[in-house]
This record gives sequence, C-alpha cells and structure tokens, in this order.
Amino acid sequence: MSLNRIKSQLLLRLLFKAAWVRKDRAFTALVSVAVVATIATAALTIYSDLEGKLSREFRGFGANVLVSKTSGALTAGELADIRKTIGNTGEIVPVAYAIATETTSNARIVVGGADVDKLRKLNSSWSFSNAGQGSALVGARVDETITHGADLQLSFGKTSAVIKPAGFFHSGSDDDSRVYIPLDDFVRLTGVQPNTALVRVEGKPLEIQAVISRLSAALPDVEVKPVRQITQAQTAVVGKTRSVVLASSAVVVVLIMLCMVATFTGSVLERRKDFAVMKALGASNRTVNFLFASEAALLALTGSSAGYVLGCGIAFWIGKANFDAAILPQPLLLFPVLLGSVVLALIASTAPLRLLQQIQPAGILRGE
Amino acid sequence: MFLRLLFESFRRQKRRKSVALLAIALGMSIATAMIAVGNDIGDKINQELRSLGANLVITPIEDTLDVNIGGVNLKPASEGAFINEQELIKIKGIFWGHNIKGYAPFLNAPQKIQTRTGQIDAELIGTYFAQPLHYGKDQFTTGIRSVNPWWKVEGAWPPDYGDFPEQLPPDVLAGIKLAQQAGLSVGDQIEIGGRKLRISGILNSGGEEDQSIVAPLHIAQKLLGQPNAVRRVTVSALTKPEDAFARKDPDKMSPAVRDRWYCSPYANSIAYQLREVLPNVRVEQIRQVEQNQGKVLSRVSGLMLLLTLAALLAAALAVSAAMAATILERRQEVGLMKSLGAGNSAVASLFLTEAGLLALTGGLIGFLAGAALAHRIGQSIFGSAIVVHPVVLAVVLCAAVIVTFIGSAGAVRKAMHFDPAVVLRGDA
Repeated sequence: MSLNRIKSQLLLRLLFKAAWVRKDRAFTALVSVAVVATIATAALTIYSDLEGKLSREFRGFGANVLVSKTSGALTAGELADIRKTIGNTGEIVPVAYAIATETTSNARIVVGGADVDKLRKLNSSWSFSNAGQGSALVGARVDETITHGADLQLSFGKTSAVIKPAGFFHSGSDDDSRVYIPLDDFVRLTGVQPNTALVRVEGKPLEIQAVISRLSAALPDVEVKPVRQITQAQTAVVGKTRSVVLASSAVVVVLIMLCMVATFTGSVLERRKDFAVMKALGASNRTVNFLFASEAALLALTGSSAGYVLGCGIAFWIGKANFDAAILPQPLLLFPVLLGSVVLALIASTAPLRLLQQIQPAGILRGE
Repeated sequence: MFLRLLFESFRRQKRRKSVALLAIALGMSIATAMIAVGNDIGDKINQELRSLGANLVITPIEDTLDVNIGGVNLKPASEGAFINEQELIKIKGIFWGHNIKGYAPFLNAPQKIQTRTGQIDAELIGTYFAQPLHYGKDQFTTGIRSVNPWWKVEGAWPPDYGDFPEQLPPDVLAGIKLAQQAGLSVGDQIEIGGRKLRISGILNSGGEEDQSIVAPLHIAQKLLGQPNAVRRVTVSALTKPEDAFARKDPDKMSPAVRDRWYCSPYANSIAYQLREVLPNVRVEQIRQVEQNQGKVLSRVSGLMLLLTLAALLAAALAVSAAMAATILERRQEVGLMKSLGAGNSAVASLFLTEAGLLALTGGLIGFLAGAALAHRIGQSIFGSAIVVHPVVLAVVLCAAVIVTFIGSAGAVRKAMHFDPAVVLRGDA
C-alpha cells in the first residue's frame, strides 16, 4: 500500500471519527449551517419572484390603459394591433357610448355598448347582483333613481328599444349612472362603432410601460393613455415591497451568518486539545489546517444542501399560502448558496486556528 | 457559593460567554427588526396605496344621473342636487376621523370660455387644492393635491381663495388638452361669465380633467352662482381590507356585534359613519380602489408575516444551536462538579441561571440593535421611521430566555447523563 493511500485513508478516518465520536458537536454545527442556507434560499427565491407575483395582484384593478380615437371609430385593424401587442395575458374590451332618453321618466342616460361578459370580467371589483334573463348591465344609480328593477325603455332619437337587465352593479364611479348593452344591439340601435377600448396590460411595472410605448408607436392616430393612478400605485407598492423584503432578508441573512460563524468559531476553539495532540504527534500546521478545513467544508456542504432543499420548500409554501401560486425553486441559487456556506465555514473554522498556532501545544495540553 | 460559581464562570470564560452572548444578541436583533417591520408594513403600504386616490365618494341622494361621455359633461349646472360645503368639515368628526387622510369636494358644470382667440366649450371644475381647515382644535390641510397625488402641474398651483378677489384675476389651472386645443399657456387670461381669470399652471392629470378648467372651489361657486354648493366629495381613507364581517348589514346586528363592526375601520363602517354626519347623501366605495387595495395590502402583510415567522424560527434555531454548542463543551465541568458531590439540580440551576443572564443581556442588546435596524429600513424605504413598540422588548426578552433554555436544557441534560468518572477521563 502506498504511503499516499495510507495517508488519505487516515484522513478519511480522522474526518469520519471527528464527526461520529462527537455527534452532538457536529450536529449543532450542521444545524447552524443549514439554518443559514435555508433562510438565504427562501429569502432569495421569494425575492426573485416577488415582482411577478405581486404585479398579478393588480389585475383586479381592471383596465390600466385607455385607448381612444378622437375622430371616427377604432378600425378592426387597429383593434387587432392592440390585441397583438398586449399578448395573451391582457384583455381588451372595445366600448362605444351614446346618450339615450328613458321614455317613462324622460331622463337622459349614457348607454355603453360592449361585450357585457368581458366587461364584467374586466371589472371584477364591481359588485354585481343578478336580475334575470336580460342582456344589459344596469348601474346602481340608474336602478335606484329610474327603473327600480324594471325594464328600461330607451329611445335613441330615431330608434328605440326595451332593454331587459341581466344584472345591476355598484362601481362607485360614473359607471353607476350608465347602462351597458351588448355591442351588436348597440350598433344596430345607434349605428355607432366603438371609439374607445379598455385595455388591461398584465405584467411588471416596466413591462407595462414597454407595452404602452409599443402601443403608442404602433397606433399613431390613436390616443393611448395609462390609467396613471393604477400604474403609479403598482410601481410604488411593488417597488417598496421588494425593497422591504430585500432589506429585511439581508438583515436576517447577515445576522444569522454571523451567528453561525460565532458558533463555528466557538466550537473550533473548544478543540484546542485535539489541535495540541495533533501538533505534539508531529502534524504540521498545514495538515492541521487542512484537517479542520475539510471537516468544516464537509459539514457546510451537507448542511447547506439540506438548507437549500428546505429553503425551496419554505418559499414554495409561502407562495402557495400567500399568493395562491407556488414560488418555484431557483436552481441558479443552489451554487451560490453552497459556495457561500462552504466559504463561510472555512473562514469560521480556520481563522481561530491561527490564534491557536501562536500557543505552544504543551501549554494547551497543560490547560493554559 | 452559588453566586461565586456564577460570577467566576463569567469571569474565567469570557471568550466562551461572549460567543454565546453574540449569538443571542444577533438572533434577538433579527427577531426585533422583523417583528417591527412586519408589524408596521401594513400601515406603510396602506399609505403608499393612498396614491390610488380616494376610495369613497359622497353624492347627494336626490341627485340626477351623471351624463358624462369621454370627459364631456352634458348635465346642466342647475340640474340635480347639491351638498352644503359647510357641512363637509363634519367628515373629520366621525369615529374614524383620524383615518380620513383627506377629502376633495367638486362642483362642476359645462361653461363657455372666452380666450384671446375665441370662445370654447369646456368643463369648469371647482375643488380644494390644499385648503387649510379647522375642526375643533385640530388643524389640517386637505384637497386634490393630497387626494389625487398623480395630478401634475406645470407652473404653479392656484391658492384656495376664501372669496373672489376683486382687484386681481384669480388663478386657475387649465387642463393640458384644453390648453393645446385653445392655445393657452401659463400667465394667459381667460374669461368665464364675464369674470377674468388667470392661468397659473397647466394640469396633467391623465384623466378627463385634462380637458377642463380647474378652479378653486370658492371661485367656481361664484362663477356658477351657487354659493356653498358641492356636487360630489371624494374621500381618501385608511381602511382595513374587507372581509365577510365587513359586508354584513349593521342594522341587523346585535348591539355588541354592531359596536365591533362600527369600531373597525372597514370602508363600509366609515361610509356608514359619513352617512350619519351628512344627511341626505349616499356614500359609495370606489370599488376599483377599495376592493383591490385590500387585496394587495393583505398579500403584502401576509408575505411579511410568513417571512417574519420563518426568520424567527431560524433565529431561534441558530441561538439554540449556539447555546447547545457552548454547553456541550463543558461536560468536564459537569463531571467535576458531580464528582465533588453536586446534585443534578444544582448543576442544572447553575447552567440555566447562566443561560438566563446571557439571554437577558443578549436580548437587550439585540433589541436595541434590531430597533435601530428597523428604524433604518423604514427611513430608507418609506422615508418615515418604523417605530418599535415597547411591548416588543418584553416579547424579545421572553423569547430569548425561552430559546436559550431550550437550547441549553437538552445539552445540560445530556451532560448530566454521563458518568463523571468517564467524562473526567476524557472518554465520553
């Protein structure tokens, strides 16, 4: 058997025995590394997905872009362009407006023509109550002041129609004074085509900005207006939440790392006697360093692998519990987490050795 | 004797004790910072969400329907009902008055506007910009500048006049689209109903107001000949996200339940209180804002709560591991004490007292450091401090003692199980 082979076998035995004989010591070190890796993985995984997850919550605000034409109606080509630009996740609802007179009360009402189901889906924050088999959505104030649940008798000048409500809605906006009927009926009654489109662009704040610029560039004759309070609030809330998560995660990760380093350093310092015996038996500083370092690296690697898996699990669960959508593991984080843990463990375990090297082994063994 | 043992243990094992102390202090500063941030994040994000604008709207019950298409108002100025401006101050007097961040009254009507080059039809909107008001001893400023923070003005905001100034023409804002259409710029004079007005700024609101003249409320009331009249008031209130309880009808509740409902800052209960102080109005949630901000708010708070829990758990584990590590190394001491005749309880009480002292000191240091960190996070992200409630100190100290005891107890018990002779020989 070659000398090298014996040496490496001895090293393995030393490593294994060091961990096995003092299982509790190895275990506490393992736990402290695993805790750091877990919290770092969980925080970074959540942070990387936070913008997307939180932006999704702004879907409920409905249209965040208004597209309108000052003269004439939006053409089929223009609508197709908008659809193409906003992609599959967005929504577009073309709307036309006209003023009608309710003949029984002689009140003037703004009537909108739109795909009623889509409009309802877009404005999910409105509260709807179903009324019956009709086709129109009637605003709460129209119902309260004029119809009281009955059908509407609308006259558009030359044409007139009886509109049966499908539902009533509360919005808290001007829409409460309006009635929405299916677009086909509207066009038949008024001859007016939609000149406005309510558009909901989905995505992160910057992506929404990009879509708005693309829309403006693609449709020069059309006015594209972001609903500024929604886009601004989204930018502010998403940005600040990200900053808070980042800052607090950084605080937690850094402090808990220090905590781990303290634990590690402490337990190495406690092993002065091991260190002195090795030196007394003739081990060089390098060998001792190597031995302590490989022990620390092995522990760190095991602890951080477990921590990574646990951290991914925690992030996944937080996503499920809070956003109803899992936050998926980021494989890219595995390497930095493992490397970071090993480097930290190496620093924490070899730095105190330098202190010990200044003391004579005999002194340590005597208990000084 | 016990005290001396305790004292000597700290004096002779400074290094070991400082490692443990450091670990506890670090763990507890995590706990303090995360509890403080997690606790305050709801309020902070709620403030950010006020940039969505008002979440409640007040209109007269007798009002006729709005006839408004694409920013053009077709409802005549005389039609419909009004709210008395003098009554609006009562908004601040409701139970949740402190949660009312601001309100803005509106009076609007289509007008003919005389410019240098000709006449143009546009909407005249009267509102508060930043009107100083008194309610009892309280002084506050309210108006569109705080309620609709996304309104931008190029030039200067007009002052809120108390009355129509007779010498100089009063300042108003011109919407950016109207200004482009009519060739208006800052400093120009216009005329409405024979009265001269000066344009002090160009308004860019991103909304329908861009086609209007926006004037101080009292100027608009004078121009329209409707003193004290207000058509609509938007209110920006800090509210609690709506839940099933919030949607219940207060008139069908038992008095105790109704009190609980009334004393929760739901949009519905604030609306109810507004209806109590302002007769003959309807108060409606601006659902697009109110419903969604609650959702966003609960998501952000929920996220921080879960992150705080994870961090607390991690801190507890890290502190426990550190404590266990330091005690495990002291089994020779345990052996020595036991061979000199100390009972298990004597050994345990010495170790646990040490742990308790460390926990209290570490907890206090950690609390101070954590509070400073939370303060820093609040200042740098939200521009306002995150205040750490003194109760957190008690919580953190308790947590520190519990966590160090848990960490130490296992290790102490283990150390006591060994035969002293074996430990002292170094075989364990």
